[in-house]
This record gives sequence, C-alpha cells and structure tokens, in this order.
Amino acid sequence: MNNVTTQTLSCTGITKTYGKTEVLHGVDLTLEKGKIYGLIGRNGAGKTTLLSILTAQNPATSGSVVFDGAKVWENQEALDHICFSRELNPMTSLGQNSFKVKEYLRMAATYYPNWDNAYAERMVKEFGLDKKKRIAKLSKGMMSMVTIVVALASGADFTILDEPVAGLDVVMRERFYDLLLENYTETGRTFIVSTHIIEEAANVFEEVIIIKDGRLLMKENTEELVASFAHVSGKAEDVDAATAGLECYRAEKIGRSKAICVRTKPGDSIRKHTEKYDLDVEPMNLQKVFVALCGEEKQEAQFA
Amino acid sequence: MNLNLTEEKSIYLQISETIEDDILRDILLEEERVPSTNELAKLYGINPATAAKGVNLLVDKGILYKKRGIGMFVQTGAKMQIVAQRKSEFYEAFVTRLVAEAKSLAISEQELIDMIHKAL
Repeated sequence: MNNVTTQTLSCTGITKTYGKTEVLHGVDLTLEKGKIYGLIGRNGAGKTTLLSILTAQNPATSGSVVFDGAKVWENQEALDHICFSRELNPMTSLGQNSFKVKEYLRMAATYYPNWDNAYAERMVKEFGLDKKKRIAKLSKGMMSMVTIVVALASGADFTILDEPVAGLDVVMRERFYDLLLENYTETGRTFIVSTHIIEEAANVFEEVIIIKDGRLLMKENTEELVASFAHVSGKAEDVDAATAGLECYRAEKIGRSKAICVRTKPGDSIRKHTEKYDLDVEPMNLQKVFVALCGEEKQEAQFA
Repeated sequence: MNLNLTEEKSIYLQISETIEDDILRDILLEEERVPSTNELAKLYGINPATAAKGVNLLVDKGILYKKRGIGMFVQTGAKMQIVAQRKSEFYEAFVTRLVAEAKSLAISEQELIDMIHKAL
C-alpha cells in the first residue's frame, strides 16, 4: 500500500454524441492509483457514459483515454488492469439476460488476470447468492451483489463500480462499504464508485468527482470540499451583508429571515465573514453540498 | 472509542478528539499503542486517508509518536498536555458562548454567577 507509483488512468477532451445529442462536452480527468473516488451526478449527467469510455467499453466521439502512458482502446495489456463492473440488467440488447450467475462469474474469471476465485466464492456464500439462478431472475439487490463480487474479486488495479448499492438494503449497503474499505486497505487498489445515496458513502471517498450536465464540475478532496461550505441563516439584511461577495447557492427567504449556502475560498473562513453579525452558521454534509451545486435554484418564497 | 460520528464537524477532527478523549479518560494509557489508521478506518467505516489525517494531527501536536514498523503510541505527558490545551480553549469554547446566550436572554451578571455557583 505504501509503494509510490505514478500509475494513472486519465482522459482528455472526451466528448460523446448519441445521435444528434452530445452527452459529454469535453471531460478531462486524471485518476491516481491508491484512492477511493466517489462519482456523483444527477440522473442523465453522463456518469455511466464517462465510466464506460474510461474503460474502453464504449468509444468516445473525440478525446483520448490513457492508462500508464498508453492508449486504452483495444489495448488488452492496459485493460488487464481495469475493471468496470457494470450494473446488470434483466434484459440485454440480445434479449433476456439468460446467463446463470456462475457463468457470469466464470466469464469474469477468464477476463481478469488477477481474479481471486476463493474470495469470490466467499462473497457469493456470504451474500447468499444462488449461482444456478439466471441473471434475469435475480432481484435488483441480488444483481448489485453480483456486480460487487465481480468488482472486488477482479483484483484489477483500477476498479469501477457503477451504482453498486442500487437496490441493496441499508445493512447490505453498510456491509458493502466495509468490504470495500477492507479490500482497499489490504491492496491499495483504486476504486471509483458512483452512487446516488451520497451521505452514506461520503466518509469512504477520499475524493469526490461531480459531473453536471456532461461536464466535470469538480474533483476535490471530500473533506475539504464539505468544509468549504456552510449554511448561513438569520435576519435577511445581516445574511446579505455577511455573505456579500461570497459564492452563494440556494438562497431562501421567508419573511425577514434568509438562509443561504455559502462556499469560501481556501484559506478563508466563513466565521470571518459572519462574526460581526448575529447569524446561525451550520456545517453542511456532502449531500447538501451536492444539492447546492447541482440542484435547481430555489424560487424566492412569495410571502410577507 | 466513541463510535458515533456526527456530521457537525470534520471527520478527521472527530478522530483526533476521540483519541484525546480516550487519553483523558485513561482508556488509552501513555506509552500504549493506539489503533492503526486501517483499524480506525474499519472501525468507523471511513477512508484510511481521513483516519491518517486525524492521527497525524496528534503526531504534530506531540500527543502521539510513531515507532517505525510497529505503530502509533501515546507520548508520555500527553494527558497533561491535552488538559492544558483544553483549558486554554475552555474560555473561547464555553465561557464566551455562555455569556452571549445569557445576554440575549437578558440574564444579569449576578444571576449568571448565581447559576454557576448552583451548578458547581
């Protein structure tokens, strides 16, 4: 875990057009080895498209993806190090997904050179997966468990999980993050996890990548990003005076009071701006930060 | 170790404060090994980098020290150091806030002092 390497997976100028619609508008992103990244974005933001392009499962319209200095497209040597455990669907483009769980796992075993079969078997048993069942017959949660087994057992240096907790109950979701952290601390592999259940995962992500409307909005240390935000509320004129000139989101006015989300620049602190006023300053969590950045601006309440 | 992390404060600060609290309460003794970054990560379900940030904060303060290849240990004198530091923060963290709240409730100086006596 402590060996320093420069292994990276990066993309530059990625665009993707489906028909006449451009869904990614020039994404530059570099992922370093040995980190757990969280990928968040609203429905249709382009997360899965970006992930499938990063792993050469989907060609970009323009731009390039490079692993360790070499192009990834049709480069088996590079792809041996990269795992994209896609969300499973009961239907494929060829009709019903009629593979049995054991067949799906066997395919994964042949595809990933570092596949750990004993580990995969252990997880299948723990999750109570019936290997003889066909993928199409599995519940949504069971399908997620299969994708988790594939991702963790793949042994790939860069492993991408697309919505691994979709359909899982809260106990299983917590178990998944425990397994992920356990595997990560033992191996130092890189994981990229996309999820809509943000708050549960926030403490697991060293860095968070936010995609908005087909663009990379930010890639930041999770802790620092969350700490740079604050929720400020109080008398409207005091809130306005204290937050003037700051990056503000989602202002909400009710009568004489106003609440607003504020982001301060590195080295600045919200307290410096608010200490002269009688205001409530509350920390925010990653989910609230995400809503501030990616949610619709609130309509001003017509009241008072 | 306190297992209930809140959202009120940065996780790494909560990690370092929890270790300090355990030293204050003699749950962790001086010259004793503290849980490793990976153990803390597993215990709290947090990224090991965050746990390391909390632990390193205490190394920088001289409350913990590293023994190469073995782990992190509580420095001799750590408990006294934590007490001294918390005392110096006490005024800012508790007294000024107490007085501010008392003022906004129009509690008089004498009333406030009487309340403190009562609580003692």
